[in-house]
Order: sequence, then structure tokens, then C-alpha cells
Amino acid sequence: MTMVNPTVLKLKDISRTFGHVSAVRSISLEISRGEVIGLVGENGAGKSTLLKILSGVEQPDSGTMEINGKLESFRSPTDAIRAGVGVVHQEQSLFTNLTVAENLDTRNSGRLGIKNWARLNSQASAALNKIGINLDPTSRICDLSFVDRQMVEIARAVSIDPNMTATPLIILDEPTAVLEQNETAVLEHEIKKLKEFASVIFVSHRLDEIMRICDRVVVMRSGKIVSDKKTSEVTKEDLFRAMAGGVSQIAHVARNRLPELAKPAVEIKGLTSKGKFKDISFTARSGEIIALMGSNASGREAVARAIFGAEGYDSGSIEVNGKPVSHWSIAKAVKAGFAYLPSERKVEGMIAGLSATRNVALVHQGDGAKGPFLRLRRLAKAAQSWFDQLDVRPNQIGLPLIQFSGGNQQKIVLAKWLNSPHINVLLLDHPLRGLDVGAAQTVDVQIKKACEAGASLILIPDTIEEALEMADEIIVMRDGEVSARHDLRSKNTLTVQDIVADMV
Amino acid sequence: MKLPTDWKSLASLLAAIVVLAIIFVYLNPRFGSLENFRNILFQMAVPLIVIVGTTFVIQLGSIDLSVQGIMGGAGMAWILMSANTRLETDYGIWAWVVAIGIGLALGCLAGALHSLIKVPSFVVTLGTWYIGLGIGIILYGDAMLPSLKSDVLMAWPTKLTFGLPNAFWLAAVVYAVGILISRHTHFGRSVLAIGNSEAIARNTGIPVNTIKIIAFTIAGALSALAGILATMQIGAGSPDLGSGQLFTVIPAAVIGGTALSGGEGGIMRSAIGVFLLIILNNGLVLAGVNPAWQSGVFGAILIAAIVAVARPDRGILKIAK
Repeated sequence: MTMVNPTVLKLKDISRTFGHVSAVRSISLEISRGEVIGLVGENGAGKSTLLKILSGVEQPDSGTMEINGKLESFRSPTDAIRAGVGVVHQEQSLFTNLTVAENLDTRNSGRLGIKNWARLNSQASAALNKIGINLDPTSRICDLSFVDRQMVEIARAVSIDPNMTATPLIILDEPTAVLEQNETAVLEHEIKKLKEFASVIFVSHRLDEIMRICDRVVVMRSGKIVSDKKTSEVTKEDLFRAMAGGVSQIAHVARNRLPELAKPAVEIKGLTSKGKFKDISFTARSGEIIALMGSNASGREAVARAIFGAEGYDSGSIEVNGKPVSHWSIAKAVKAGFAYLPSERKVEGMIAGLSATRNVALVHQGDGAKGPFLRLRRLAKAAQSWFDQLDVRPNQIGLPLIQFSGGNQQKIVLAKWLNSPHINVLLLDHPLRGLDVGAAQTVDVQIKKACEAGASLILIPDTIEEALEMADEIIVMRDGEVSARHDLRSKNTLTVQDIVADMV
Repeated sequence: MKLPTDWKSLASLLAAIVVLAIIFVYLNPRFGSLENFRNILFQMAVPLIVIVGTTFVIQLGSIDLSVQGIMGGAGMAWILMSANTRLETDYGIWAWVVAIGIGLALGCLAGALHSLIKVPSFVVTLGTWYIGLGIGIILYGDAMLPSLKSDVLMAWPTKLTFGLPNAFWLAAVVYAVGILISRHTHFGRSVLAIGNSEAIARNTGIPVNTIKIIAFTIAGALSALAGILATMQIGAGSPDLGSGQLFTVIPAAVIGGTALSGGEGGIMRSAIGVFLLIILNNGLVLAGVNPAWQSGVFGAILIAAIVAVARPDRGILKIAK
């Protein structure tokens, strides 16, 4: 007897309009039990709106939604949770000051009364066991690693109601965007386990992952589903074409690796920060790209921050123009032509409430300032020229930065540094994190341009492929120390597996 | 729960108290007497009651400035309804009900305006401060200061039970209940959750507005109770009797590790902050510091204490607001 898997989600003609923009246009979609659906599309294709409708944050203007055979219309996220839809957001939604168990307890949070810690903790253990994770329910979220936090989120999404017989629908909204390669592997493994009792919608910009993890891939463009096929029936190229609307977007901007050695922009000698990294040495030359690889605990981000003066170091030296610096600070680094694109863009890279114009002019005003006074018209002109060059959308320089999408914010954050007359060292911590294909390409082109203009790049990439494609030299770190160095100018046969082997 | 960093700052706080105590005993041996210890606990009672409510509000990421006004208004209402030198009528328990009702109402008002209309708590509670103060001034009128007539009530705060003053026991009960609420109820944990991220709290179905209103109402009611206790301690009513409390309570919470941005700290630790500040005040008096200098010295030591406590978790990019 063959069993037909029951349908978990059935959308019919779902539409949602904001003002005169229709974000989602007549979407129909069915997902059956145990299926993992990949949802892809460029920023603004309507993915977020569709997810918001599924999770009860937005209500559709028209159309019907059936979950586990029941007609549903969510008025709030709580309704969606009750119906069995759990969302793991790109930005984590855990209370970092509370324990794992408290974060998993979504049902009782609405009531007043006494906490039953014993029951809370045992329920949490059960929920964690269900997805095969071994975590202490009484530990606080702020003490956990990023991937562990992600697991807690997944546990929460699937533990909505242990007594529920219906199949949960788990939405993973770009869960891998902030994970390192080895952590992503853990997550992929978890998703395979989820299939046994749940259906999954997996959103990612990384098509390799989509192809590996998903059973079916749904492509959205301009609010509509333009392709919905089994993974085995499509290629990456097909998906690109569907996302971009017919035109292939995989265009590699080739880069000539410099054969000769230019003058050093910054030399790092025996840099050590207790408990973070130890005896790090390398030379970054003008026009050269150095990629720092390693897991989250490798200390590579701390090294980049120390070079920018954002974190202290205990011993060793940083030499700029052949001279060791003393009392290194961010102010001095900026003066010496250093620029730093932080991975925590929203917290450290931008002032969300200020206009794009002001954000571009945060560090270098150029001719936009005279003494203590700002020349607003010139600042606006500079911002506008960056908007045109980087294709920032919407093209409104006066808008507060928070109103732009992540990719466009990143373009503006980058413009803040590119506005400098001369960049010596450009430190990039996950520059393409969370960007769609188009935005990533724009940022990528600008980075390479800066490099050609003589800047030395120290790059912490999202993926190993990115490092292999761009870098002249790869420095791999493990537990705070350099575990391997690869000069790609002389050796070009390196594979992803080689780097992974150095990392773990 | 594992709180390694928290315990470190807690230990430095206790060390600071020990060091201060040693210095003060050296300056005046009377500081270490049992009588003075009782005196310190007596002085601690009022701010200890207030800080339970204040801590809930600060954990939310909000602030309650209305303490002194509510103390004044509630204290005046209470004494005028108890047997006093101005009015003979004694309403007994109703005096308590009305006085605490004033605090409850003002706290609830502040909480509602803050959470429903989204007015910053800083401004709303400045308003309720002055409303409370206004109630006190109107009740005070232009007659003479009302004093308590009941010897029982007058003697109650200083009377010893199990060797410690009653005023302290009252505060200790409020404090213990506060800790229980904070640690073991959905309300207490929701307060921490909201302080950590209000957006997430709303999205996970925590009734954010209700929790906020309850927290401000508790704070208002406890300020009123503190007003009654302070009136009893002095034996007379005055609209200004809360004067200076705000300056003890908010720094005490911060010294105890309750971040003004919310989500951190706890009532137990706030109380240690109160203890430190009261010891400081008491010790300076006993050490014979010139009264004219006391405020300035107190302020300077307060800043030193906050710097010392905050020190361990300051990074270059850590932002203090």
C-alpha cells in the first residue's frame, strides 16, 4: 500500500498589497508532510511578505490558507504558533538574558502565575531531545554559541505543542546567513532530521545549499511564483535565470592576482591578545587580498578588530609604513587610511535613524565640510553619486537608513568608507552577509575596485568558495592561532576540503 | 543558573562594603556597634521597599521618577486619616487603603500612558511625581504640620522583633515577596524578557502592555507604602518626606548591576546597592564629616562606586547610555 503524504500547507490565490505596491500576487502553493521546500528570490521579490503572512504578522488581502486541512486566517503571530507554524528568523528572536527552558516555553508566556521550573526544564529537555540536541535547559542564551542558539530556535519552532497530532510547518528564514561553514553542516544535518515529522520552508540566498538540502525549489520574482520544480529537475543556472527574469546573472568579475610584491600597507608581527588569539603575523600589501579563514571560535574576527583598533592587544606590533604604531585606536586607524566593515552592520556599521546622506558622510566629508560647518548640498551631491554608482534602491538619499533593505544598507555602509580620498587597508568582516545576488555583486565590484586602486584587503568571507575565488593569500586560524597559510599565487589547486581540514 | 560574570561584580560589591565598613569602624568604633547596625537597618527600610518596585521598572528598560512625590502624597493622606494633631478622626485601616490607593492609581496611570500611548516613562513619571507632590501640598494646606497621636504607631517602626527593628522586617517581607515574584512568576520573567527585547516579547505573545502597567502599579503602591513607613518613622507628615530617596534608589539599582537599558540585574542585587549607600551615608555622619561637605563627598564616593562596579564588563566598543 502506498501512502500519500498529507498536505500540510495549501495556499490559494494569496495576495497582499501595500499602498500601490503589490508585494504578493496571487500565490498558490502546496507543501506536503516531510517536504523541504527551498524558497529563493532577490530582495523585494515578495519572500518576506509571504513569510509574514504565513507567520501571522501580516494578513492577506485575498486568498485562502489551509494548514493541515483546516482553513486558517491568522490575526497575530500567536495564532500562527497555535496552528503549528514555527518561524526561525534570520535575526534571532531569543531572550538572551533568560534560560534555554524559558525561551522554549511559548505557551505559558501569556499567563500570570508561578513558574514550575521542574516541569519547564523537563519539557525543554524533551523538546531539545526531539531534534537530538544536547543542551542544558538551565543555561542562559547569552552563554551559548551562535549555532546552539539557532538550534534552540528550531527546537522552539517544533515544540509548539507536544500533544499536537498535526504536522508542524517550520519556516527557516535565512538561517545560514550568519553561520560558518562547519556550523552550516550541522544545520543541514538537523534539517534532514526535521523531515521525519515536519515540513520545512527553507529560505536562503546560497543556491548551493538550496540544491543540497531541498526536495523542491520555489522561485519568486515580483510577488509571483515563477518556478516551482523538484530539485533534481533544475540547475543552479536555471534558478538564477528564474530569479533575475531571464538573464543569467552569474558573471564572474575576473581579477588578476598581482605577481610582484607591492609595498606593505600593514604588517602584523606576533600579535597576541590573551584568550582570543596568539602570535599572529602577516603582511598585507597594497592591492593584495588576504582572506582570514576559521570557525567562529578561531579568533579571526578579533584579529581584524584589533588591526582596526576596535579591540586591544597584549603584545606584538602593528606596523604601518614600516613603523610600529603605539596606542593604536580607531581614530588613528581611520587617519592612517584604514576602513572596517563590521559583521554586525546594524549595531556597529550604521546609524539607523540618520539619513543615508549623513551615514555616507559619517567618517569622511570631503569638501562637504568646512571647519565645524557641514555643507549640506555637497554632502547630498556626494551621497547621490554613490547611490547612482552602487544602484541603491529606493533612490532617495534623505531616507533614514533603517528604511532600506539589508543589501542596500550594506552598500551605504560601504560608501561611507569609499568616500575616503584614499583607503590603505580595507577590513571586511562578512561583507556579503545576507545580501541577495544583485547586491552582493555590486558590493563585490566595489571591493575589487578599491583593491585595484591600491587598497590592501583583509577579508573575512562568508564561504570558503568566496575566499578561493578572491584571495591572493589565505590564512587559516584555529583556536586563536594560525594553522595554515596558502599562497594562491603560487598554488592554485586548493579545494574547499583542504581549507576545512585546516580549520578543524 | 550559571552567572559567572554576574557573580564577579557581586563579589566586588560585597568587597566594597567590607572595605567601607572597616574604614568607618577605624574612623569611629561606634559604627560597628549593634545599636548602629539596627540604625542602619532602620534607615534602609524605606529605600528597600521602594527599590523593589523601581527594579521591576528599570528591568523593563523604563524608569520611575515619581517615588518622592508619591511618598509625599500618600504619607500626607495616611497621617490625616489616622489619629493626628490636626484631625481627631481615625479611619484605621481605611487610611492605609486610601494612601496605598493613591500610589496604585498614579503608578497605574503612569504605566498606562507609557505603554498604551507610548510616552517615555521618564516624562510621564516626572508628571506623576508632581501630581503626588501636589496631593501632598493640597492636603497640607496652610495649617500646622500634622503629627501622629498614636503612641503605638509612633513606636512601631523602632520596636524590636527578634532583635531587629519592625521597619526593617516590613521591608524584608516586601523584599522577599519581590524576589519570589521576580524569579518564580510569569510576570517577573516577562519583565526581564521585555527588557531584553520588547519586539520579540510582543511577537511571542507576551502581553507587554499589561506587564508594563502592572510593574508601574507595583512601583507606585510600594512608593506609597514607603511614604506611610517614613511618616511613621518621623512621627509627622510632610509633603517633602521622600526628599532624597530617588537619589538613593536609582544609583543603588545601577550599583547592584541593574542596567538602565533593561533586561539585567535583580532585586536581590539592588538591595545590596541600597545597603552600600546607606552605610556610606551613616558612616560619613559618624565619621564626623562636616555636614556642609557631606553631600559632595557622598556624590564623589557614589561615582567612584559606580565606576568600580561597572569596570569589569567595559569593552572599547561597549556603549554606556
